[in-house]
Amino acid sequence: MRRFRFRLSLVLAAVIAAVMAPTEAQHVHDDHSGMQFDSSGMVMNHNPDVLPQGCDAISSDVSFTVHAGTDHALGEIGRIFGYSQHDFRAPPCSRVTIHFHNDDQVRHQWMLHGLPRYLYPQGMFHLEAAGGQHVMGSFIVPADDATYLVHCDMAQHMEKGMKAQLVVGKGSTDLWSVPGVTTDFNSAADDKMPRGTIMLLLASVLTGAALMSAPRR
Amino acid sequence: MRTIVLLLTGIILSAVLFPPEWYSPRLRFELSQWLGVPAYQSSSAVTASPATMTAVEEACPEDLLGWRDAQVIEGVSIAASSTCSADNPYAIAAFVLGTNNVSTDTLMRAGLAPDAIVKGADLDGDGDPDEIHIRLEVAELNGGSPDEQEPVLQYAIAPGITPGIWAFVPKSFGMATENFESNRATELLRLPSPAIRIEQGDRVLITLENTHYMPHTLHFHGVDHTYLRADGQGNDGVPMTSELPVMPGEARTYELNPRASGTAYYHCHVQAQTHVLMGLQGMFIVEENRPDNILQTMNIGAGHVRVVSQASRERYDQEYDLHYSDLDSHLSNIIQSTNDPLAIKNWLHGGYNLTTASSDYYTVNGRSFPYSFRESLIVAEPDQQIRLRVLNAGSTGLALHTHGHKTTATHFDGVALPGEGQVTRDVFWLASAQRADLTLDTTNDGVHSYGSGVWMLHDHQGRGVTNDGIAPGGNMAAIVYREFLDADGWPITQGEDMNMFFDPAFYQREGGLTADSEFTVSFFLRIIGFGLALGLVLAALLRLGGGLGGGLKRGRE
Repeated sequence: MRRFRFRLSLVLAAVIAAVMAPTEAQHVHDDHSGMQFDSSGMVMNHNPDVLPQGCDAISSDVSFTVHAGTDHALGEIGRIFGYSQHDFRAPPCSRVTIHFHNDDQVRHQWMLHGLPRYLYPQGMFHLEAAGGQHVMGSFIVPADDATYLVHCDMAQHMEKGMKAQLVVGKGSTDLWSVPGVTTDFNSAADDKMPRGTIMLLLASVLTGAALMSAPRR
Repeated sequence: MRTIVLLLTGIILSAVLFPPEWYSPRLRFELSQWLGVPAYQSSSAVTASPATMTAVEEACPEDLLGWRDAQVIEGVSIAASSTCSADNPYAIAAFVLGTNNVSTDTLMRAGLAPDAIVKGADLDGDGDPDEIHIRLEVAELNGGSPDEQEPVLQYAIAPGITPGIWAFVPKSFGMATENFESNRATELLRLPSPAIRIEQGDRVLITLENTHYMPHTLHFHGVDHTYLRADGQGNDGVPMTSELPVMPGEARTYELNPRASGTAYYHCHVQAQTHVLMGLQGMFIVEENRPDNILQTMNIGAGHVRVVSQASRERYDQEYDLHYSDLDSHLSNIIQSTNDPLAIKNWLHGGYNLTTASSDYYTVNGRSFPYSFRESLIVAEPDQQIRLRVLNAGSTGLALHTHGHKTTATHFDGVALPGEGQVTRDVFWLASAQRADLTLDTTNDGVHSYGSGVWMLHDHQGRGVTNDGIAPGGNMAAIVYREFLDADGWPITQGEDMNMFFDPAFYQREGGLTADSEFTVSFFLRIIGFGLALGLVLAALLRLGGGLGGGLKRGRE
């Protein structure tokens, strides 16, 4: 635990150093500072104290303990992997801390996209836990109401259930196919016959019947 | 009477005009086995449409990162790669030293997890590590998605051709795509599953971390291993006889301590008739024990071995891994047609029938022509001895033909042939799963080599040099003498302009592979026709009913 804290403080120091020197901040990803990377997993763009533009102070502290793995797949069609929670809510300018526990024996990720790139290289916050491991990290969300994509980017993990959303404030719009929250984009179109097709079919049936029933000379 | 004729006509017409898009999936699949892909493909919500990538690309993209150059990374000397695209040299350095023995910087550039390949103690005291722990994951490429209309995590085997694939991959970290905006897989996630190299006598642990949504195992074909592990659990990877498969999210470790060297094979043994054909297959090479042996534990995408073993160094100037395989789009497109793993399982088990199927894509080192020319050329100098380790992992035989050369077989299935058994020929027949070690001698003597040039190297069966029947394609590669290779690694040829093969349209079958969307004119015409016919039936039925009613009434009167 002490080692972890030490590592975290190193990461912290690196992040602060990177942000203090704006010219170097562009290269955070390239020179791999500001991150934890070892056999327990990976933390990228951990930021507990640098405020995004538009925030005067950290509005509140929000903390989530997230478990990941096959045990958390909701019993829906197409779900094999999952998180213990797929819908996260946080107020604007709040500091979000994620305690990420991996209950499987293989890697999983809690990766969030769409954060401001001047603060978070590639616009992402990334936690990755090796099998049976736990990692944690924090980030401060911007002031705008927005919905952020959270997922595991490993091949097919998002498609098979590891998709979630972080709704900041009122959010922008719900994402497709978030387990337990929204339906799949494809299944909706797949299961229901489009109204136009039904109308066309009905019109054809009626025309056929009318032609047939038309009085013959 | 006339009404009955009309009724029958109506019924027949409605049956014929009923849109195939509305057939049950099972029926559509059966029909596709008889009539070809479109009927089945057009049913899918997510369709692999080769038309998704339409830009005509460069034959040989520039090597911006300098991966082709000879270089020394953390003390590991990596030979230059003469072909157009080359493996990531940082990954090669990590494979040689072990991911536990390189700097974080090298590991990050390699894209590998810190425990992907852990190298431990030197057990026999000969200067190289003998405790090796390899971790493999399973990646699905060109898979389906509940949201996207095109395959996700794309890996094209040839321009515009993206069949669904499962592959063993080294344990990595971070994003699976090149970046968030991209839909292309990183260079570690590809076909074929990596060629794995260990040394004779090594104590090897191989952990399968099943990151996929289907159960899988590892089976070591032709590699010395015990039937049971030290703890009494199965070690053969066969679900029927040895152990239960590794379920999604689970991991399992296999133990190897091979006494014999040789070129071998590994593959998944769960529903092997489909899982192997999906791409869960790789080369497995046990190198002879030598002091201070330097081994590149993995060769991503097989091909040119840039750090060769001591034993190979003694006898050969260069070494290449050639992994031949094939794909059946009827099988591999199943994973693109639904996001429901249970439905996929059912299709694989009872829908797809391998005995009535045939492959349509033929690959060497995971690519088909023209992409095979980017990375699977054998670049030779005169008077060289070049070792070719060949695996035919395909579902049918391989008639491997070398233009301008006769190669000599030194080993079959990893076992050395006695002197008089070492045949020299220009076509080698390899049955499914067979391996051959061939020596390519570039001495210009009229037998072993006819001299310098660009000499084709391919399966001599016609279908093997096509992409779904369109030539040139398939597993075509070449032996190219350096004077016939330009600085970018592309062969200097005097024939057709090769750029036309980089247009995906070239490999599109007329009216074939491009799936119909549900909203085409023909679909609506069918709907109208079906509706009219159905109306006819209804009206005829009504009239019949009326006539009958009338008749009854008349009878009563």
